Amino acid sequence: MTNNDAPKDTPEKVSPLQNLRVLDLAWVVAGPVIGRALADFGATVLRVESSKRIETARMMGPFPEGKLDPQKSALFENCNAGKWGLTLDLSREEGRAVIRDLVRDWADVVIESFSPGQMRDWNLGYDHLRELKPDLIMLSTSLMGQSGPWSSFAGFGNVGAAISGFQAIVGWPDLPPTGPYGPYTDFVGPRFGLVSLLAAVDHRRRTGEGCWLDVAQAEAGIQFQAPYVARCAVTGEIVAPNGNRDAQMAPHGVFACEAVAPNDEGWVAIAVRSDREWQRFAHLIGGAALANDTRFATLDNRKNNEDALDALVQAWTENQTPLAVEKALQAIGVPAHNVASSADMVADPQLQARQHFIALPHVLMGKTHIENARYQLSKTPAAPPRPAPHFHRDDEFVLKHFAGYDAAKIAELTAAGILN
Amino acid sequence: YRVLDLSDERGLLAGHMFAQLGADVIQIEPLAGSSARAVGPFADDAPAGDNSFFWSTYAAGKRDLACDLTSEAGRQLLKRLIQSADFLIESADAQQRIDWDITPAATAALNPALIHVSITAFGSAGPKADYAASDLTIWAAGGPLLPSRDSTRSPLRISAPQSWLNAAADAAGGALIAHFARVQNGRGQHVDVSAQQAAALCTMSASLAVPVGHPDYSIPGLAAEKKKSKDGKKDLDLSGSGSRTRRSKWQVKDGMVEMHIGIGPAGGRFTNNLFQWLASENACDADIANWDFITVPQRILANEITEADMERARNNVASFFARFTKNELLEQAMTRRFLCAPIATTQDLLDSKQLNAREFFTTVTEASGATRTLPGNFAAVVIKDGATNGASRGFVALTPAPTLGQHTDGILRDWLALNDSDIDQLRTQGAIA
Repeated sequence: MTNNDAPKDTPEKVSPLQNLRVLDLAWVVAGPVIGRALADFGATVLRVESSKRIETARMMGPFPEGKLDPQKSALFENCNAGKWGLTLDLSREEGRAVIRDLVRDWADVVIESFSPGQMRDWNLGYDHLRELKPDLIMLSTSLMGQSGPWSSFAGFGNVGAAISGFQAIVGWPDLPPTGPYGPYTDFVGPRFGLVSLLAAVDHRRRTGEGCWLDVAQAEAGIQFQAPYVARCAVTGEIVAPNGNRDAQMAPHGVFACEAVAPNDEGWVAIAVRSDREWQRFAHLIGGAALANDTRFATLDNRKNNEDALDALVQAWTENQTPLAVEKALQAIGVPAHNVASSADMVADPQLQARQHFIALPHVLMGKTHIENARYQLSKTPAAPPRPAPHFHRDDEFVLKHFAGYDAAKIAELTAAGILN
Repeated sequence: YRVLDLSDERGLLAGHMFAQLGADVIQIEPLAGSSARAVGPFADDAPAGDNSFFWSTYAAGKRDLACDLTSEAGRQLLKRLIQSADFLIESADAQQRIDWDITPAATAALNPALIHVSITAFGSAGPKADYAASDLTIWAAGGPLLPSRDSTRSPLRISAPQSWLNAAADAAGGALIAHFARVQNGRGQHVDVSAQQAAALCTMSASLAVPVGHPDYSIPGLAAEKKKSKDGKKDLDLSGSGSRTRRSKWQVKDGMVEMHIGIGPAGGRFTNNLFQWLASENACDADIANWDFITVPQRILANEITEADMERARNNVASFFARFTKNELLEQAMTRRFLCAPIATTQDLLDSKQLNAREFFTTVTEASGATRTLPGNFAAVVIKDGATNGASRGFVALTPAPTLGQHTDGILRDWLALNDSDIDQLRTQGAIA
């Protein structure tokens, strides 16, 4: 398959994953983000979805002008840029037959995120697909994993964040927890999913052997709390939400600043990591008197007097803008940063230097906006070759060139309403 | 594969992931020990230096070499190790990279096939490359901090630091992508990871609100309430996963559960299932039992359902749920198909029926004699026929986190084929301890 890979003339210009063909049946965030990363670096990723049962990400914003339109969701665009699209009704057997053809004749890798058991019920499970393609690599990502008594437990990522322990550890000590922003394990799961998938591709390269990977988003999330789980196993101590405070740093928090447009509010994050940093910080905000104040001289003392400490910092920040505080503290080597909104991120010179926001031409919107890869590869940079598919954009091309169907077969599928 | 890991607490996880996949990962520490050994939480059952649960977790699976990179002999030794490595992972500041002579240009000159991974807060170049940074300030810069709140108080981070872990996990992914370029052309390259950009993935693409032109975008919460009072418009969350408010937390017999009362096309059908259960137990008001939560948004907009009505529905749920335990509600959610989950504490994770059935945790005994319970493989793997449970081919069993310099001699023999007298000489020179 060379449809999107022009011949490369120099060895430097290789696209890392240019020979990898990925059938992406995943939806929302946790699964699609894996395929997005593969497409960024040259894989041919075919995303299959139904236009009848519209996937959740298409219903979530942000949207241009704030108007809900399943063909214009920025979340969807961001998770699916670079992919080819096939609009297919998997609730029909004829639709599932197309998947089997693509697996047998085209795909190296299948990614899916249906409820555990759904693929098997459709005769699309690993055991079935492996008969069509013995060295297939299939990655299934789900909340709880493919096995175990709770494997059928379904839900959006917020319940994933609850069951994996994150809801309990964001909040203030004197109030019930608030939980993290959004479906947090959806953001963690794909990072592990990508690594396990690429390791499997390398394993197949060396041994010829495929496999089925079972990535549980809840388990991925727990990897990110592992030190606290290890502590709990020894001491029984659980993580209690502690505002923005930190056992090893003080002051450590988010402080209100002068409100700035367009946010109508202003916040700055500050973390003083050591006694030496405290000395510089204290001189800046309170002069020698504060730097010599024994209540704050050591971390232990600052932790013991943290309410008073935070009040001093708050009094210092509240009449300044977040960016002014950030600048003043960075000048003395103390971690501080404006708490960024979308507008702030667009204006951030660092994100500009990294080309974090990318605009791509889009047939329906004129332009679509996505975020860049989180890593820059010096010789083979990320290059999403096309925006995310809208319904039917690539149906004919994909069926002809990927599945090898002739015009009559495509017409038959169209007439039968399978391409929906 | 050989992985040389020079990272500290900012990158420790990436090498740990490689180790779980079976790579030979060498953690290089200064003679005084890695700063990651001083990152909490801490244990009482092991001596200082070996009592960090952070180290126990993310250094597990690695071998350890203590090397003095402030000495010329130490840097020469590092050069030889770099020449025989497939991957180099570091989380150094720009000045450290220069001091240790491991700028990407220098390592590429030593070993053109090397994949050199840098994990930094903002990326290794650019106007903020030298910014002082911490977990909290990265979370602020990358976007997920601002919307994480539901009161007039400040935005909140996660009380277990996340920024560097997200970046380090991405580093492993970026390194493997670069590896596939190397498979084709034999060339290594520099993989430059930005923790700020890694954090941006945790905004659910809210970061794109301004680029796409969605005015006042937010998932409902404080900002939305403020807006409502300004223009009097009703603000509806149709996402089905709008999880951020304490409104979605319910007190039950033994703790709390998470459940967003979803309305509209995405979440409404699950709420219908929930209220069917309440109705069957006479636990909700008669009119509410007849609502179709898929169409509730339209009825709110038409003023047929008021905020007071919604509050009645919430109160029905609250008094009903108070009769059950977390796990009872989980079982009901699975049977009746509504979206409710226990808000698990750290202890609940260890006790989880699901995680234990999948043999997720593994226990290792460290050199100090302390035992550590750690998460196991980050994916379950089935290669051929057979049970998925516990199957772990492709992954290797975790070895405990190393003590300082625990494997120095063995590593020098394996990687550089040094003999005892070579090693003694390095010791005399002060390159190793």
